Amino acid sequence: MNLNYELAEQDLIAARQAVGQTIRYCVPADLSLTGRRIAGFLVIGDEKWAYIENGRVMDQRSIADGTDYKIIPLIGNAVLEAEIDHSKRIIARLTMQHAARYGFIAQILNDISAKRQIRIYNNEEEPICAKCGGTLIHGTRVCPRCMNKAAAIKRLFAVSRGHWKTLALGLTILFASSGIALVGPYFQKLLVNGALQPTDGSTDKGMFFLGIAGMLAVLVFGELLAISKSRIMAGVSSGIAADLRKMVFDKTQQLSLGFLTSQRAGDIMNRVTSDTDRIRHLIQELCTTAIFQLIMLVCASYLLFQADWRLAVVVLLPAPLVAYLHRYIWKTVLWKLFHKQWRVHDRANSFLHDVLSGIRVVKAFGKEEREIKRFRDYNSEFAAATVKSEKLFSILSPITNYLIEMGQYFVLLIGCSLILDKQMNIGELIQFSSYAAMVFGPIAWMMFLPRWVANAAISIDRVFSVIDEQPEVIDSERSGKLAIQGHISFRKVVFGYKTYEPVLKDINVEVKQGEMIGLVGHSGSGKSTLINLISRFYDVTDGEILIDGVDIRTIQQAELRSQIGVVLQETFLFTGTIMDNIRYSKPNATYEEIIQAARIANAHNFIINFPDGYDTMLDENGNNLSGGERQRLAIARAVLNNPRILILDEATASLDIETETAIQEALKRVTKNRTTIAIAHRLSTLRHADRLLVLEKGEVAEVGTHSELLEKKGIYYNLINAQRNMTKKQDQNDGKDQPVSVEITA
Amino acid sequence: MTASKAASDHETDAAKTTSDLSDAANIKYLTVSNATFKKTEGQMLSVKVDGEEHPAVYVHCSFPHTNRSIYLSIRTIENKEIGMIRSLDEFPAETAQFLEEQVSIRYFAPEITRVVSVKEEFGYAYWEAETTAGLCRFTVRGGGGHTKLVTANRLLINDVDGNRFVIPDLTRLTDKEYRMVEMSM
Repeated sequence: MNLNYELAEQDLIAARQAVGQTIRYCVPADLSLTGRRIAGFLVIGDEKWAYIENGRVMDQRSIADGTDYKIIPLIGNAVLEAEIDHSKRIIARLTMQHAARYGFIAQILNDISAKRQIRIYNNEEEPICAKCGGTLIHGTRVCPRCMNKAAAIKRLFAVSRGHWKTLALGLTILFASSGIALVGPYFQKLLVNGALQPTDGSTDKGMFFLGIAGMLAVLVFGELLAISKSRIMAGVSSGIAADLRKMVFDKTQQLSLGFLTSQRAGDIMNRVTSDTDRIRHLIQELCTTAIFQLIMLVCASYLLFQADWRLAVVVLLPAPLVAYLHRYIWKTVLWKLFHKQWRVHDRANSFLHDVLSGIRVVKAFGKEEREIKRFRDYNSEFAAATVKSEKLFSILSPITNYLIEMGQYFVLLIGCSLILDKQMNIGELIQFSSYAAMVFGPIAWMMFLPRWVANAAISIDRVFSVIDEQPEVIDSERSGKLAIQGHISFRKVVFGYKTYEPVLKDINVEVKQGEMIGLVGHSGSGKSTLINLISRFYDVTDGEILIDGVDIRTIQQAELRSQIGVVLQETFLFTGTIMDNIRYSKPNATYEEIIQAARIANAHNFIINFPDGYDTMLDENGNNLSGGERQRLAIARAVLNNPRILILDEATASLDIETETAIQEALKRVTKNRTTIAIAHRLSTLRHADRLLVLEKGEVAEVGTHSELLEKKGIYYNLINAQRNMTKKQDQNDGKDQPVSVEITA
Repeated sequence: MTASKAASDHETDAAKTTSDLSDAANIKYLTVSNATFKKTEGQMLSVKVDGEEHPAVYVHCSFPHTNRSIYLSIRTIENKEIGMIRSLDEFPAETAQFLEEQVSIRYFAPEITRVVSVKEEFGYAYWEAETTAGLCRFTVRGGGGHTKLVTANRLLINDVDGNRFVIPDLTRLTDKEYRMVEMSM
């Protein structure tokens, strides 16, 4: 990360005057307090900082005057604050573009102020495009400035290389069929001139049959070729689309959790399904209709000029003009109307989706009437928009089509007068007007080509943007395999989803093999983040996590995760049988292993009572099971692989006491001899933990056994007390004894 | 029971429920009489509430898009609420002004006055626009709701860095601008 920007000469002179000759750090402070973007810089020297703007020093101070330098992320901007003379003050304001930089700067200022050695974790590189040198957007590899639509389509063809044989065959047939289509009018002329109205007066039966046969042959062969062309092209385009879908899906499976959570699931699904389908459509249309139309246009106009250049000019000259008019009407009037109609339609649709999926809420609050009224409004709005656009369309569409065919009218006009003057015969006119008709279609069609290709190009963009996305967590070449025993150590671990906001600070913990650690702390204290780091869903910002003495960044991800069992609060079960779901973590598990895992998880007894036993088909996300049953299946799934490390993230939070007891019992069996890290909603769950780790604002505040921490009378003691008080209150209210279990958001 | 009696019963019931809610919510309101706001030398805000001094406080809006001068929450850096302000109108003009300043520092989203160009490529939209903060070029990730309507005609745009921009009224855009903006919505 660039923490030392180059200053312009004027600024540099001012900066040196303010902080001395050495400028150790210099970063932009590009926002004024009044909300203007400015070219300001914060300069840090050996002992002083200064704020420079347009060659003038606006503010300066000794760094040691201030303490507690801090970057405060606000909404859409951030400020650097410090405590100076016992009062807080804003030192600089900046746009979010530089917020991460200031995370480092604040740390540097604090270190200088406290006369510590500067420790900055500047391992974050700013990705730069190799070609143009511009900064790349985080997580992408392709520089958008150096890549254009043509390049996108080129890439598409690179993907289609695997299908080039069939593609070539399709194109050959395409050329053949356009050739045949062009012969058609010639036979028409033959028929008219040779048989129906011969120029020399003598009718020729042979010519007549030849003409008829030729026309029939054109018709039959043309259709046959069209059928095979469509079949081949459909095959090719579907094949390419399938390749793309596979590429996108593969990528979504490889990408890090960070990217996937930043995107809506529906959005990614769209890219896999509808965008690739649009691309398939593009290829199909491009390789059939577009090329065909182009050939027809070129050949037909050539033949027109061959036949009679005067008539050809009459036909072709107004064509672009008329076609432009046609397009203009579409673009300005009709497109807008239809677009509005679609938007209304979208709104009505999403309203419908909302209300129908929330029908229980609607009924519970008795708001049916209100929803009916709202739907009626949307409905009539949609109807009105449809009527309006259809009405206009019904008038404009014939007019524009008529305009396109105006040329035909002129051809007849001039052609007939030429025939009357004996400069042309009927056969030639018929041939000519057939060719003319072939010209208008492609011209009108091509007017819409740019918009249509642009739309498809957006789909290509969207698909490739996923394919090009780079996973944040990657295996290096050195990554190897490791049979995990279960010793975990955190060494000076610092981590933040955004580097300037560390969620975990300087975590130093040793977890012995087979030990059970309970993680306790308020929500947002970093517990879930800590366990995400063990599975390496994210990489640490600084420090290292070792398993059995090996840095987890040097273990292959799949290898690492397959040896860590995870049970989450939200259990997700896939559609399939109970057996399939348990077997998910180890597809080659034997029946016996599955039953063992289920028994350990206390799930065997309820499964065996089902009429279909382990073959019970689960509904979507196991909706035909109770919460406790689902949870126990999840535990069975986690232990089947016999992982040495087990992570329980609020695994029993959403269950009632009785079920929890059953699961507790299961867990006790499961955690034996396994390194277990558990986050629990209810503190009672963690009674059996060997040690408890209390996290507070991303730091380890307390470590010890349950009784040690109680003696210490710190945070844990307070949490337990709060729990007891609540239980007491509950008992008084209910007037009966209840087991000690109060929910503290841990 | 007569109809009018029933109606008056109903009214008292309604009054009772609202007071129940406010009891339960237990909102501490800051007024001219219990709170004194001061702008510090370092451009920050301090407040003295019932004799207790809070040297640095932050102003959060309940309705940053629809109304920025009502129901402001005054909070410490630890995100503890000191109290709420019902409306800035209750305070003298000078106090209201520096509270407003604090709001505009916290919620920074330049208004787009003219859209120069929006180009969409590879899942990102590249914007160039004249804004109240000057000419800005920024990149917006496509999809995932980075460009969204916060009211019927107010468009909020979040760029890749986390900067925010606002088009206050979509209907005031020219046709050309609207077409560019719409592509990325």
